[in-house]
Amino acid sequence: MKTGVYFCNCSGNISGQVNSETIKDNLQSRHSGAYFKTCELLCSEEGINFLEEDLKENAPDRVLVMACSPRDHENTFMNALKRAGINPYYLQMVNIREHVAWVTPDGDTATQKTIRCLEGALQRVLLHEPLEMKQVEASLETLVIGAGPAGLSAALKLAEAGRKVTLVEKTPFIGGMPVRYEEIFPHLECGPCMLEGMMDRILHNDFPGSIELLTMAEVTEVVGSYGNFTARIKQYPRFVEEKNCLGCDLCVEACPVTTPNEFNLGMGEKKAISPPLPGALPYVPYLDPKACLRWKEEECSLCQETCLVEGAINFEQTETTVERNAGAIILATGFSLYPTEKLGQLGYEKVNSVYHSLEFERIAAENGPTEGQIITREGSFPQKVAIVHCAGSLEEEHAAYCSGVCCAYALKFNLMINKKLPETEIVHFFKELTLPGAEDYELYKRVKDNPLTSFIRYHSSSDLFISEKEGRPALQYVDQQGATGNIELDMVILCPPMVPGKDTVRLANLLEVTRGSNGFLEALHGKMEATQSNVKGIFIAGACQSPKDIKAATTDGASAAGNILSALVEGRKLDISPVAAEINRDICSGCKVCLSICPFKAVSFDEENKTSQVNELLCQGCGTCAAACPSGAARGKHFTDRQITAEIKGVLRNE
Amino acid sequence: MNNNEISQKPYKEENFAPKIVGFLCNWCSYAGADKAGTAQKPYPPHVNIIRVMCSGRVDPEFVLQAFSEGADGVIILACHPGDCHYKEGNYRARQRHQITVNLLEALGIEKERLRFDYVSAGEGEKFTRVVEEAVETIKNLGPLNHG
Repeated sequence: MKTGVYFCNCSGNISGQVNSETIKDNLQSRHSGAYFKTCELLCSEEGINFLEEDLKENAPDRVLVMACSPRDHENTFMNALKRAGINPYYLQMVNIREHVAWVTPDGDTATQKTIRCLEGALQRVLLHEPLEMKQVEASLETLVIGAGPAGLSAALKLAEAGRKVTLVEKTPFIGGMPVRYEEIFPHLECGPCMLEGMMDRILHNDFPGSIELLTMAEVTEVVGSYGNFTARIKQYPRFVEEKNCLGCDLCVEACPVTTPNEFNLGMGEKKAISPPLPGALPYVPYLDPKACLRWKEEECSLCQETCLVEGAINFEQTETTVERNAGAIILATGFSLYPTEKLGQLGYEKVNSVYHSLEFERIAAENGPTEGQIITREGSFPQKVAIVHCAGSLEEEHAAYCSGVCCAYALKFNLMINKKLPETEIVHFFKELTLPGAEDYELYKRVKDNPLTSFIRYHSSSDLFISEKEGRPALQYVDQQGATGNIELDMVILCPPMVPGKDTVRLANLLEVTRGSNGFLEALHGKMEATQSNVKGIFIAGACQSPKDIKAATTDGASAAGNILSALVEGRKLDISPVAAEINRDICSGCKVCLSICPFKAVSFDEENKTSQVNELLCQGCGTCAAACPSGAARGKHFTDRQITAEIKGVLRNE
Repeated sequence: MNNNEISQKPYKEENFAPKIVGFLCNWCSYAGADKAGTAQKPYPPHVNIIRVMCSGRVDPEFVLQAFSEGADGVIILACHPGDCHYKEGNYRARQRHQITVNLLEALGIEKERLRFDYVSAGEGEKFTRVVEEAVETIKNLGPLNHG
């Protein structure tokens, strides 16, 4: 076998320390099939031309490049091999700049170390196999799950680029949580208004691509992988045809049944046929079969009779299932609040006028159950309000993390109460005040000098005890210094941490997306790949992956969309790196160890043959399955046992 | 090993130049070793680096192979916990290291001859320190008796 060895002087960086003549002599004394060439700077234009021409002329079977780190120029030299008609995987680099020349105290020592490195590489490269990059067609469509800020932002960015998007939302309306908030921190803008522009564009398909919005829908099954997913989506009947409805609300007025409104968290009521919230988009009512008389076998069609458009109200609608293809999926399923009732000391559901933050958002909202009047359960304006930050956060037994956004919205609540009830006294109980970033601290500056506002630092939720006294909440506390106190209040607002919702957990299980220690969807790399999940082609955006504010959620959505636009490009197939695992079915014993350890769900089990198989599209080539396989059936291509063993032997060979 | 090398660095065991194989993951530790290179601060020349894509690729058999081929020591360097490019390969490597240590002890090879550590892409200095310490440890232990 003929091996071409190319030694780069790196303009003296290498040749100043490593003696190429000694290397050459040593090589030729051991390996008759090898030839040795030097070049002043192999990565320069001149150097690459030299390499390419020389490879064409000598047509070696294998190539060693003794130069810098493969992390710098492996691709450069692989491309040169390719142009010279040699399989690029026949290259092995010997890193004698970073690992030898620059770090070895003297020339002779460096030269000797180089000889060992060369011998390892030489033994290895002889076993290299010709590998080919494979390519597959990919769908350019995207499935976005969740139509809150992250999902809307992602869908819009993709559609603006001309992509087709299927946007699946489980509630009857879009906008997610913020459309339920009257005001948004830090500038106290109106929540629904802020999102309205984005929501209008989506509802009116105002872009080159298209967005198919499926409300009251959930993804029930996903098959396939990156580039070619197929999702089954179940859509529950709204009983109102979106395309026909004028949004006139006549049916709502006609409906004789009232029922608690789940989107006001059970506070206040709605009709059996009703928009979920006043102003919710799309502005189309939905019929709640749990409340409607027709589903109680009573005769009623008042809504249909009142409706101005024939066929707009359709009692015959049934649950439907559709299938959609997608090259990539974005999970933007948002958050839930930590179940406040688990914080027993804090009196939620036991003590009058103790609310959690989402309930308070609705109380303070003009389209909420009290039409924006901040009132207690009894209907009076509160004179004294406690806002309990960190309710369950930073505690091992509840949520061992800081939810990040609560301080900002707690201070927003303070300002909202100040605006409507300027005489009301507000006490903040907090463990830590967290207001990072360029703007949020401003909120604290705006409230701290108000004589009616005070701050008490506490250590643990067990140091607070809220009980009911004459129909009002009373709060006993031990502060961080150990001082005790007792305050009688009219209202308590608890600020529990964000947690992943049950749909997030369900979808994580369905899609085999991993969740981190706090239950949120986990990014492939928290810093560098923050919206990529462990499964290639599945992205995670917004509060389903960590507590986030609206800005972070929309940014995540745009980031996920950007990743998809760069990865799935019209006219370009998906490259599948051949540096992947493969399973030799003849020796696979079917023990499934590889399935359990693959971090990318790239290994599946072929029930028919009782052997494992690798999806090369998902495999990232880490080789952990190859190391774990007890029968030697899993093989890491380009890092095979034989290749690595040969390199071990080579570097240890006695002179 | 040639004599020049030994004469340059006065180690405790003047005549012993240990052979050490280092398995480094591509994304963190190998990059850390590159960073150490960029810093151009000399360190002992006794470690030969073998690049693997992930520390999780390091089969305990590679370690045994290295010892049977004449290595006096082996180091396995991985991404820090939570930083693995492949999510959890470094945890696998850590688990396998424990198993390998047990194997080595059963074979009568001092467990100190195998070192597992975490080196990130930015930790050039840590890489240098790990190499220095490993070389020191192996020098103190002396050559592995290959019988």
